[in-house]
Amino acid sequence: MSTKEILTLQFGHYSNFVGTHWWNLQDLSFQYNSSIPSEINHDVLYREGRTNKGEVTFTPRLLLVDLKGSLGSLSEECDLYEPKIDPSKAQINWHNNQVQVQQVGPSHSKNQFQQDLNDPNKCVLEQSYDFEKTTKVWSDFLYSRFHPRTIETIKEYQYCNENTPFDAFPLGSALWKTSQFIDDFSDKIRSYIEECDHFQGFHFLTDCTNAFSGLSSSCLEFIRDEYDRKSVLVLPVIPSYFSDNLISNDNEKSQSLINDSVRVINLALGFNQFNTNSSLFVPLSVGCKGWRQPGPKRVFKNLEYDNKMAYHSSAILAAALDTFTLKHRLKSSAFTLSDLGADLTRSGRKAVAASINMPFPMKENSDLLECLDNYQEPLYHSITPNCDIGSRRLMQHITIRGIKEGQLKKPLDKAQKQRELPAYRANSIQEMMALYLAYTTDATANNVTVVQEALNVKSPFPQIFAKNIGKNGFISDHNRLSETRIDSIPLLAGLHSGSEIGEMLESLHTEARKIKINRFHQFAGGDIDRDDYEECLDNIFTLRENYEDSYLI
Amino acid sequence: MAISLLNPKAEVARAAQALAVNITAAKGISDVMKSNLGPKGTMKMLVSGAGDIKITKDGNVLLHEMQIQHPTASLIARASTAQDDMTGDGTTSTVLVIGELLKQADIYIAEGLHPRILTEGFDKARVKALEVLEKIKIPVEINKEILTDVCKTSLRTKLHQNLADLLTDVCVDAVLAIRQPDKPVDLHMIELMEMQHKTETDTQLVKGLVLDHGSRHPDMPKSLKNCYILTCNVSMEYEKSEVNSGFFYKTAEEREKLVSAEREFIEQRVKKVVELKKSLCNGTDKTFVVINQKGIDPMSLDMLAKEGIIALRRAKRRNMERLALACGGIAMNSFDDLQESHLGRAGHVYEHVLGENKYTFVEDCKVPQSVTILMKGPNKHTLLQIKDAVRDGLRAINNTIEDKAVIPGGGAFEVTANKELLAYKDEIKGKARLGVAAYAEALLVIPKTLAVNSGFDAQDTIVKLQEEARLNPEPIGLDLTSGEPINPKDSGIYDNYVVKKQIMNSCSIIASNLLLVDEIMRAGMSSLKG
Repeated sequence: MSTKEILTLQFGHYSNFVGTHWWNLQDLSFQYNSSIPSEINHDVLYREGRTNKGEVTFTPRLLLVDLKGSLGSLSEECDLYEPKIDPSKAQINWHNNQVQVQQVGPSHSKNQFQQDLNDPNKCVLEQSYDFEKTTKVWSDFLYSRFHPRTIETIKEYQYCNENTPFDAFPLGSALWKTSQFIDDFSDKIRSYIEECDHFQGFHFLTDCTNAFSGLSSSCLEFIRDEYDRKSVLVLPVIPSYFSDNLISNDNEKSQSLINDSVRVINLALGFNQFNTNSSLFVPLSVGCKGWRQPGPKRVFKNLEYDNKMAYHSSAILAAALDTFTLKHRLKSSAFTLSDLGADLTRSGRKAVAASINMPFPMKENSDLLECLDNYQEPLYHSITPNCDIGSRRLMQHITIRGIKEGQLKKPLDKAQKQRELPAYRANSIQEMMALYLAYTTDATANNVTVVQEALNVKSPFPQIFAKNIGKNGFISDHNRLSETRIDSIPLLAGLHSGSEIGEMLESLHTEARKIKINRFHQFAGGDIDRDDYEECLDNIFTLRENYEDSYLI
Repeated sequence: MAISLLNPKAEVARAAQALAVNITAAKGISDVMKSNLGPKGTMKMLVSGAGDIKITKDGNVLLHEMQIQHPTASLIARASTAQDDMTGDGTTSTVLVIGELLKQADIYIAEGLHPRILTEGFDKARVKALEVLEKIKIPVEINKEILTDVCKTSLRTKLHQNLADLLTDVCVDAVLAIRQPDKPVDLHMIELMEMQHKTETDTQLVKGLVLDHGSRHPDMPKSLKNCYILTCNVSMEYEKSEVNSGFFYKTAEEREKLVSAEREFIEQRVKKVVELKKSLCNGTDKTFVVINQKGIDPMSLDMLAKEGIIALRRAKRRNMERLALACGGIAMNSFDDLQESHLGRAGHVYEHVLGENKYTFVEDCKVPQSVTILMKGPNKHTLLQIKDAVRDGLRAINNTIEDKAVIPGGGAFEVTANKELLAYKDEIKGKARLGVAAYAEALLVIPKTLAVNSGFDAQDTIVKLQEEARLNPEPIGLDLTSGEPINPKDSGIYDNYVVKKQIMNSCSIIASNLLLVDEIMRAGMSSLKG
C-alpha cells in the first residue's frame, strides 16, 4: 500500500502545545527493533531525511508558526542537522574582529528534562519531571526532534508583549501578505509536498481566538488556490483558560470583557473561513463553553487535570487527535482524509464535533463485553465547545485503541451468564463495538476502527489519571502506588456530525451577533467593516441551517 | 483632561515630560545603531534566548531582530524599516538623523523655543536640503562601471571588503543580464538560491536557473545536454475526483473500482509528452526535460523515466515565469496541441545532491533573461548575511538605473547641505531660523559617526571637512582610511539619490511629529465601553 502523505501545520502557541504532545505521543509509540511491526504507518505524518553527514533522520512533516520569544530554550534551527554554534567561537569575517555581541531577549537555559534528553545515559521516559512547575512554553516538554525548516517565528510580534499584541484577525491576514509568509513559508510548504509521492492533504492545527485565526485562514485560502484538490482537516483549538479572565479590579474586568469580545470575533471570522476553504473542521477545547470564556472544564471520570494549565489540557486534546486520526494513518487501510470528509460532511456539514473517553474505562482482568454490559454513562464525552453529542441521527467515526482481541469476552468455559448475551456472538472488537453502537444509538451511521496499540503515556505526558488507574491504564480495585507511572492507556475517540453541531454554531452566532464590530478598532482598521462581519455571521447561520433537518439516512 | 475623566487609570505624560520621553527613546535607539554606520562600523552578533546567532551590521536587520519595547523607539524603528522596504538601504542613517534632530531640538526647547516653531524651521530646511541634493546629484549613463561603484559602496558597509567586491560583480552582472532596454528591471527575475556548503567566496552567478529540487525517480538521467525544456502547470498525478461516503459501500474494492478509469486519463496526458519527445528527440542528440508546477506521481515518473526524460514536479510558481525568460518557450496549462515552439532550450541540465537536498541546474541558455545568484556559505548565519546583502546590492543597482543619477558618498551630501543650510539660515526671518540651524547641525551626525567609527576624532574631522568644503566648490567627503577630506568621485564612492531623498523626507517628518507630541498616554481600550 503506498503511503499517502499528510503535511501538518500548526499556528499559534496553544496549537503548538497540543502539537507538541501529539508528536511526543507518536515518537513514544515508535517501536524500534520490535518483532511486531506497528499497525500505524508513521510515514503518513513523518518524513525520512538525511543530514549532510549522512545520518538518517525521521522527523515530523511539520511546519509550525509561533511568535518571537515563545520558543524558550529551543533553537529555531533545531540543532538536529547542525550542532549549535557557540557564539564565542563563531567565525566572523570582519575588520579587526570588531564584533559586538548582543543578547536579544532573556537567555533561556534548558530544563532538566531537555538536558537529560541530550544525555545518552539517561532514559527520560521512566523518570518523573515536575513539568507542571517547569513548563512555561511548549518547547519545555518537547520530546520529538524537528527538521531545521520546521519552525517559523513571527518577528513583528512578540510573545507576551502588551505593546505588540497579536490579538486580532486582520493582523494575521496582513502578516500572511508579507514576504516571510507569501514567499518563504509557502515555499516551505511546496518543498515538503514536492518530496511526497502520493500527497493527500493537510492537518491544520490552529489557534482561533487570536490573530493566528487570520493567519491560518489566509494560509488555508492559499492552499485552496495552490493545491486545489487536496483535503484539509482544520482543527481549531481553544485554550481552556485565559489568564486575563482572572480579575481583581474593575479595570481588569472591563479589559477582560473586551478581550472576550475580541476572541469571539476572531472565532467567528475564523470559522467562516474554515467553512469555506477546509474539507472539514473540528473545533477542540476542554472548556465546556468556548465562546467568550472557556467556561467550566469538561469533567472526565478518570482524569484529574488542571484546566488552567495548558500542559494538561492540551495533552487531552492531543490524545484525542492522535486517536481519531488513526483511521487514515493505518497500514492496513486505504482510508484517506477525503474519505473522512465524504463520510462526515454531507450536505455541507463541514463543522464536525470530536469526543473522547480517556482512559477507556475497562477493569483490569475484565473484558470488553463485561465492560460494555455494565456501562451506564455515554460512551464518549464531547471535547467540542458548546456541543454535547447525543445518540440520535449522527454520522460518526469511532476509534478504539489499546484493547486486545483477547480481551473481547470470556472464553466459552468461563463465560457463564455472558453466553446468554446476544453480543457474545461477536467475534471481534470491531463487531462488538458496532453491535453496541447499533443498540445505543438511533438512526445513526457508525463506523468503528479498532487499533491494538494503546496510547503510550510515558513522560513527558502528564500524569493526570485518577488514582485507581493501573500501570497499563485499566481500572484497578486498588489505588496505585504514588511512584508508579502509567505506561499506556486504552482510549476511545470519535468524530461526529449531527444536529448538536447546529446548536453549537447557533450559540456562536448569538454571541457574535451581540458584538458591535465598529467599536473594535483592531478590526475596523484592518479592513473588516460591519458589512464583512454581517456577511460572516450570515454564513455561519447558513452553515447552522445545514444541520437542521433530520432526514439523514 | 478628558481622558483622565473617562479613564482615571490611564497613564499620562504631559508636555515637557512627554517630549523628554520621546527624545530619550530616539537617542537610545540611535546610540545602539551608531557604531554600525559605514564600512568601518562594528559587526553585531545577536544571540537569541536559545543561543541562535545572527550576524549583521545592516540597520534594517538589526531593527527587525532587536526586541524593542519602548513605544517611541518602536515607532522610529518601524519608520526606518519602512525606509528600507522602499529603497533597500538607509535604515541606520534614518535612525541616526532622527536621533540627532531631536537632540539638537532639545537644546533649543530647553531655552524656551516652542516646538512648533522648530518644526517650521525643519520643514524649510528639508526643502532646502532637497534642493541641495538635486544640485549635487550626478546624472549618469548606465554602465557597468557606475553600477559597480554604487553597489560596492553599499555592500562594503555590510560585508567584509573582499566578499563585498565579489558580490558586487555578481550583482551587477546579474542585473545587466536581465535588463532590457527601456523597460524597468524586475528583480524577481533574479533567483536567489542558497546552498550550504563550501565558503561564502564560492558565491556565483549562474546564467540560467537553479531549482531547489530534483527528479524523484531513480532511473532518470542525472545530466542531459542539448535539452528541450517543457514548462507546464498540468497535474500528472492521479487523484480521485469524486469521493463517495464510505457508509454506503461495503468494501474498499468496490469503491476503488468506481474510480479506476480515472487513472487512464492521467496516463493519456503523460503519453502526449512522451510522443512529443519521441518526435523531436529520437534519432537526434537532443534530450527532453519536463518542469511541472503541479505534481507528478510515481507511475507517471516511471513512464517519463523510461524515455530518458528528466521530470521535476512542484516547481515554484515564480520559476514558471523565470524559466520562460531563461530558456524561452511558454509555460503550458494544457497538453492539447503541444508543439515544439512551446518549448524552451537549454544546453545543459544537471542535478547536484547535497545531503538530503537536490538542486537542478538549467544552464547554457542562449540569451537568459532570468538568472540565478547561487549563494554559498558554511553555515546558516553566513548564508543569511549574504542573502540580506545581495538583496540590498540589487536594490542599490536598480535604484541607480531608475534614478539615472547618483550622489557622491562619504558624507559629502551632508557636509554640503550643512554649508548651504547655514548660509540659507540668514535669509530666514524670525525664530524659525533656529530650526534650520538645528537641522544643519543634525545632518553632520553622518560624517561625524563615520569618522568616529573609523577611529578619528569627530570635531577634527568636521572642521577639516568644513574648511575644505568652503574652499572647494565640489562636494567634499571623508576618506575613511586617512581621515582626510576627499572628493568621493575620485574614489568611486557613490550613494543612491532616492535613498538620500527618502532619508531627508522621513527624518524630518518623524522628528517633527515626535517634537509636537505633548501628551503620551497609555490607556486600555476601556473607553470603548462608552
